[in-house]
Amino acid sequence: MDLFLHLAIVVAIYSIFALSLNIEVGYTGLFNFGHVAFFAIGAYASALLSLQGVPFFLALLAGIACAGLGGLLIGIPALKLEGDYFGIATLGFAEIVRMLLQNQVAWTKGPMGLPGIPRPEIFSWHFDTLPAYLLLTLGAAGLTFLVIGFLSLSPFGRVLKAIRDDETAAAILGKNPFAYKMESFVIGSAFAGLAGVLWAHFITFVSPGDFTLTETILVLLIVVLGGKGTLWGPVVGAAVLIFFQESVRFLRLPPEWSGILGPLQQMIFGLLLVILMIFRPEGLIREKGKETIDRD
Amino acid sequence: MDSLPYYLQTVVNGILAGCIYALFAMGLTLIYGVLNFVNFAHGELIMWGAYFLFLAMAEPIALPLWAAVPLALGMTALLGMAMDFALFKPLRRANRLTLLIAAIGLSFFLRNAAQLFFGAQVRTYGFEIQQGYRWLGVSLTPQQLAIIVISLICIGGVYLLFFKSRMGKSMRALADNLDLARISGIHTRKVILSAWIISSLLAGVGGILLALDTNLNPEMGVVNLIKAFAATLIGGVGNLWGALIGGLIIGLAENIAVLYISPGYKDAVAFIIMVIILLARPYVVAGKRTD
Amino acid sequence: MKRLALILSVFSLLVCFSVAPLWAAESVKIGAAFALSGSIAVYGEGFKKCVDLAVEEINAKGGISGKKIEIVYEDNKSNPKDCVSAVRKLITVDKVSVLFGPAGSSNFMAAAPVAQESKVVMLSAQGTAEKLTQAGPFIFRIIPSNSKQGERLAKLAFEMGFRKLPVMYINNDWGLDLKDGFVDSFKKMGGVVTDIIPFDEKKTDYRTELLRANKDNPKAIVNLTYINEGAVQFKQAYETGIKTQWLCGSAARAPKMVELAGKAAEGVMGTYPSVIQDTKEYKAFKAAYQKKYGDDKIPIFGDYNYDMVYLTARAIEKGGYRAEGIRASLPAASKGFRGVTGDKTFDENRGMEHADIGIWIVKDGKIEDHKK
Repeated sequence: MDLFLHLAIVVAIYSIFALSLNIEVGYTGLFNFGHVAFFAIGAYASALLSLQGVPFFLALLAGIACAGLGGLLIGIPALKLEGDYFGIATLGFAEIVRMLLQNQVAWTKGPMGLPGIPRPEIFSWHFDTLPAYLLLTLGAAGLTFLVIGFLSLSPFGRVLKAIRDDETAAAILGKNPFAYKMESFVIGSAFAGLAGVLWAHFITFVSPGDFTLTETILVLLIVVLGGKGTLWGPVVGAAVLIFFQESVRFLRLPPEWSGILGPLQQMIFGLLLVILMIFRPEGLIREKGKETIDRD
Repeated sequence: MDSLPYYLQTVVNGILAGCIYALFAMGLTLIYGVLNFVNFAHGELIMWGAYFLFLAMAEPIALPLWAAVPLALGMTALLGMAMDFALFKPLRRANRLTLLIAAIGLSFFLRNAAQLFFGAQVRTYGFEIQQGYRWLGVSLTPQQLAIIVISLICIGGVYLLFFKSRMGKSMRALADNLDLARISGIHTRKVILSAWIISSLLAGVGGILLALDTNLNPEMGVVNLIKAFAATLIGGVGNLWGALIGGLIIGLAENIAVLYISPGYKDAVAFIIMVIILLARPYVVAGKRTD
Repeated sequence: MKRLALILSVFSLLVCFSVAPLWAAESVKIGAAFALSGSIAVYGEGFKKCVDLAVEEINAKGGISGKKIEIVYEDNKSNPKDCVSAVRKLITVDKVSVLFGPAGSSNFMAAAPVAQESKVVMLSAQGTAEKLTQAGPFIFRIIPSNSKQGERLAKLAFEMGFRKLPVMYINNDWGLDLKDGFVDSFKKMGGVVTDIIPFDEKKTDYRTELLRANKDNPKAIVNLTYINEGAVQFKQAYETGIKTQWLCGSAARAPKMVELAGKAAEGVMGTYPSVIQDTKEYKAFKAAYQKKYGDDKIPIFGDYNYDMVYLTARAIEKGGYRAEGIRASLPAASKGFRGVTGDKTFDENRGMEHADIGIWIVKDGKIEDHKK
């Protein structure tokens, strides 16, 4: 039972993370390969504050705000770039963030990480049991889903898709692509920060090594597997992948195998990504109006 | 006041690193030029090149160095061609994002495959450690000297190939305009294959030299990919000489920088340079073809 | 495709629920979150050998109150995040009441709050960072902390005539701790620390750090390093012609380090919580190890791990197999208990500050005690 709750919580957190990336990659067509940086910023900001005794709700807001701010700062220079270059730039930025977290030991305790992050306490409700935490994350995930759902179905969302499909056309029609891309990027970053905060307070430990390219690849896989540009895609993707990833952890295998299991699982993810891109780039849940294979 | 040997040694280390990065960058820029995409899995070609040599020298194959190296390089070239055949050819006309994600997935697959077979710990080729030659207070081991010499030979070889041979001319034509090259009768399939072979060989040699200097681990591809990309950007996409100079600049920059900042940021130097270039040269962005 | 997803999910669910423990109720389960893969697996493998030896011996003599001990190993992959998951899994899935914690003070301290919160006893046989047991009353360590080591290292440097030297240290809780301890003591004695250079774990190239440390050709360099990192550093130092007296801490004092570094490790010295190897207990331990594994090179901290098993067994016998009982009876069980590493009585901070600090040196490819 504990195991199931654990899985459900992680699925909920990754749904938020994936929904946030989907706004950028799926709707706006931004190749963001550094998304994990905002997850990390949210996690660290809230962890550091909580460890200083700041009440959870404030730490949560701070985490979201810092992540969003990070998105703004990184977006201003990065969004001037196109396609591939934007991708590599965001990748570079994410690595720089990770290195800052790793080396500024006086602020972040570097590679030693921050242990003992307190479980949330809102208005004297303690969320330190698994069912309670599940409620919290489901609430947050539900909220995220509603907000992002509202945005994507609104005119705002349609403009984002227009920019994704043909930026020049959108510009001609009077929309400012840069402004829209920036908004999408900041919103995506802020929600990634939310996911990060929930993660930090669940695992109760963060370290720079938790926020590498591997996590970006995982969330990217979730988004493309589930179906980019759709609402339920990221959620379904998260459910499938997280079940697969976390359940393997709990298999009763001889410990000698653990050296093999980890990389094997990651290999399968990599392969899955490749196969998906060749055979079904739209993912499990196809976007409306894009029922044919996405090739141009 | 810090001593002269201290600075000289840093410069020597920088040149050493730079030669290796130049090889990486040249391999990357070649594929970018001819096929117009960043091969995200190039880092893994580098890494597997190094591991193939490790494999060739270990039991049960246990070849001596002079035989193991060609075998390792051959296997690397095969890997590169396999990558193209299995993944990049089917996606030749696909959407850029799809291509990029596929390459990332491939890189992830290959990296973990190495971790599966070889474990995550550092491996070494097991050559005897030797004291370096000392000259003006600067130390250079025979291995390091060999690295510099071999890099220069490879770079020379690529120059000859690219600018003095028919194949090179064809590659440059393809890089300019794929469809036009096809129409004008250039055997594109053969040229593309050759590009992959050369790119893989450059990656393999670079990987082996790097592993010779700093040992092997499955993560050695990723970091060097970004440095290679940074070097490529400095020199201009598709520009082989640019890649060479870019590599040297990155090598020198990161070694000199850590005289003043914490060594933990050494890898960040290449990233920061890359980001600065990307921002300062928005026209580089236009790329070579319209999408 | 949707069907595939469904199948995958169902399969995963089935797999999860199949983990219902089927173990015979006759065994006493003790968890062990060791590094069986990853960069410090070299430590974890050694620990496992000694733990297995102890368990085998205890079970041969009838186990604990008639029940056999069974160790549930969980790989912590040498990084803090997986240490946390490993400990969590041992507690929530295997439901152990006591477990042996990970090597590496940072790794241990990452997981300690989890054990403390779940009120499960966690022990460390080799974590020497000062604040190791800070997480709470369920956390114990059976090796002295770094505080005495730093002091002893400073004294050693002074005795050997070094007054100005740089300090390199591995950037984690252990290194940071020991570095502070050394620097404080050394400065108090009148020494000068010319440079403080942290370095990252798991890197393959330390020439930049080495170059900086050797900047003024110091006669000695303090290098607080681990096995793999130390081996790389000494080799690269050798290659670049650095000639100096290396002074290390306890973590590098391993046959594996000497094996990896080869001739570059010759002459390296360091401190460690010393263990008199001439006692009857130690000799018996060594003989048993040799009999089971075929060589007598006791892995680093293996002796402490061996004692940890015995101590835990005693506590379980006294207090029953429940976490609270074990926690309460550990101090009593330890009183006067002489393990192979000496007197194992816990002090009031659930640690063991009363050990001696010895000096080691690498001579002719072997680690020896440095006699003055």
